[in-house]
Amino acid sequence: MSELDWTEKYRPQTLSRVAGHNKTIEELMSWANKWKHGIPEERAVVLYGRAGIGKTTTAHALGRDMDWEVIELNASDQRTAGIIEKVAGSASQMSTLSSGGTKRLVILDEADNIHGNADRGGERAILELIKKSSQPIILIANELYDISPGLRGACKPIRFNSMMSRSMIPVLRQIVESENIVCDMGVIEKIAENASGDLRSAINDLQAVAQGKTRIGLDDLVTGERDTKENIFKVLAKIFMGTNAIEAHRATFNLDENPEDLINWIDENLPFQYTKEKDLESGFYYLSRASVFLGRVRVRQNYNMWRYAGLLMTAGMVVARSHRYSGFVKFQPPSLWRKLGQTKGMRQVRDSTAKKIGIHCHVSMSFTRSELFPFFRVLMDDTEYAPKVSALLGLEPEEIAYLLETKPTTKKVTKIYDEAQALVEKETEHEIEVFGGFTAGSSSAPVESPEPEVVKEDRKKPKKEVKSQSSLFDF
Amino acid sequence: MLKEEIWIEKYRPKKLDDIVGQDDVIKRLKSYIRTRNLPHLLFSGPPGVGKTASAICVVRELFGETWRNNFTELNASDERGIDVVRNKIKNFARISPLGDAEFKIIFLDEADALTPDAQSALRRTMEKYTSTCRFILSCNYSSKIIEPIQSRCAVYRFRPISTEAVEERLAYIAKEEGANLTDDGMEAIKYVAAGDMRRAINALQAAAMMGKTVDMDAIYRSTATARPEEVKELVKFSLGGDFMKSRAMLDKLLIEQGLSGEDIIGQIYRGMLDMTIPDRLKVNLIDRIGEIDFRIAEGANERIQLEALIAHFVLCGSDQNES
Repeated sequence: MSELDWTEKYRPQTLSRVAGHNKTIEELMSWANKWKHGIPEERAVVLYGRAGIGKTTTAHALGRDMDWEVIELNASDQRTAGIIEKVAGSASQMSTLSSGGTKRLVILDEADNIHGNADRGGERAILELIKKSSQPIILIANELYDISPGLRGACKPIRFNSMMSRSMIPVLRQIVESENIVCDMGVIEKIAENASGDLRSAINDLQAVAQGKTRIGLDDLVTGERDTKENIFKVLAKIFMGTNAIEAHRATFNLDENPEDLINWIDENLPFQYTKEKDLESGFYYLSRASVFLGRVRVRQNYNMWRYAGLLMTAGMVVARSHRYSGFVKFQPPSLWRKLGQTKGMRQVRDSTAKKIGIHCHVSMSFTRSELFPFFRVLMDDTEYAPKVSALLGLEPEEIAYLLETKPTTKKVTKIYDEAQALVEKETEHEIEVFGGFTAGSSSAPVESPEPEVVKEDRKKPKKEVKSQSSLFDF
Repeated sequence: MLKEEIWIEKYRPKKLDDIVGQDDVIKRLKSYIRTRNLPHLLFSGPPGVGKTASAICVVRELFGETWRNNFTELNASDERGIDVVRNKIKNFARISPLGDAEFKIIFLDEADALTPDAQSALRRTMEKYTSTCRFILSCNYSSKIIEPIQSRCAVYRFRPISTEAVEERLAYIAKEEGANLTDDGMEAIKYVAAGDMRRAINALQAAAMMGKTVDMDAIYRSTATARPEEVKELVKFSLGGDFMKSRAMLDKLLIEQGLSGEDIIGQIYRGMLDMTIPDRLKVNLIDRIGEIDFRIAEGANERIQLEALIAHFVLCGSDQNES
């Protein structure tokens, strides 16, 4: 493996050599140029777009073109609040010593992956960083909407479009020329096309078929084609219909899925494939053993355990089967991911409701979800209690609807919400009244007389709105 | 202030003397109030026995009217990572107390949910800020708290509340609320609550909403709606041989309702005890439930583990039907 990774070897060093994003780069440059004249309003940009199209490369090339020092934090670094403050915080606030004030560019790669457990607090730290920074910051993400709304709002978004295969072809051609490789007609075009907009994978594919060769033809391509969908189905067929346990295991070696994802595929399909109770039970026995090993990987970061998980979830399925099933049942992708996607909005409302109840009753969200929701559902079902409880907890219409297991737009929800608002208003008014009466009393004037009220009003400017309302009320 | 409508809060004890069923603990806590000093405390015990109530009462009695100024409450189960220790706790702890208080108090509920990493971080924080800050930790199982933390705390074990104490409190609340709690109603609540005061009061309020008279029937009807037995049905479906239906139900509980694997396995276990199946089968199934519970606690994927359990139920169910 003395050969350098071609994606590294041919990574463009300057913006002028970055292929296919002229407009985008223009937009980025105009932001970068603002830094020459002080600190612009938008201190951070977020570059977003699919993998392998040059976001990171562009960010680094920009740093080089602008003569900025670059500090990068990516997902392989832990990005907890503390680390971000330590690494980037100091970088972003201190100007470097060299005169002329060279800027430091902070690049946060994979910004859509920050709010994982290991990086807890990292997101807030980044937000703080952006607010305080006197240095340019670039966030990089695949999905703009996977970045939290707060963080998203603090950055200027710049979109990277997928690459056209015609923009990739010159890049690939230049690489084969530099490597002294002769290509048959159509080879480069085919590679570019297969990559469907992902230049990095195109270069990887090219290296895979071309390395060590002096000439490549269309025949060489067949093995290099990347098509995970088809592969996973072939592997599933070996797992659920094959007879050779070791072969089923081996089939996963070339698969572009890690065991954490693969187990979900097998889990989804197992009960459709093995309909006999004995086989189903036995299959799930091995699958659950595999999941134990995956858990050990997670808890102890011991990736050696992956091999046992990998074997159990594949070979285990083969040995669990007691007889051949006739007929072919189509394989399907894990429904878990779909379900998680579909229920995302509902789960957010559920958790915000749980949080409000939890804070009020001094318990955790999970305790609320499992122990208190049913009780609150009973309370909310009562027309007399519902508005009072909603007012007490400050529930929004969606949250009321969640507890009532109905839609937020129904009459019932609107009625409860409106009544709750009325209760809150009445309470505020009451408080103002008490407050007004108290001050009037302390100045030993009868409440009916408006005069002392007016004097008070002038003296206490910040309370103006509240006071004027209360004197209106008095008239 | 809006009127408190939720009885567990409305009748939450305001001072240590109001806390029932934990006489020994309360006696010792009151001695801290007299000396106006407090070590770090660790409260351990099942839910609904007065841990949070005691913590809040201690703070109120030490600090008086302005108790909220020097007190913060965090739930470790919602924020279980190391970050909560590094940021929230530290930031609160390092600012000196307001007014004439000698120290501040942090109440960390469900501290056993903190990861071992977070607990180690906490241990240093406790030591470092001990001049300005006291910790009250609360947990269900003190064994889940690392030893170095235990050794820095005075440990108090809260027991399930005695039936007499539950009875007394319920009678008081019923009277205040104008509900007619019958004798068999009282018995039913005590059975349902099993020493958990929060559950007892919730059951009373839910039943009282259906009518002024709270008898056994009202309690069982209200707890049936207030505790839907979806988990029991899941077990029934799987023992009946329908894996797909059980799995759909499992997903509903895990994904939509947001129950944890531990919640579900606990309910499966309790449901299993009441099930009318042959004893040998019951014992074998509970053995399997225990194994799955352990694996989930050790970090295995809860969904796959529970599916394996369901598949086992399906097999056992079909064997049972054949024989």
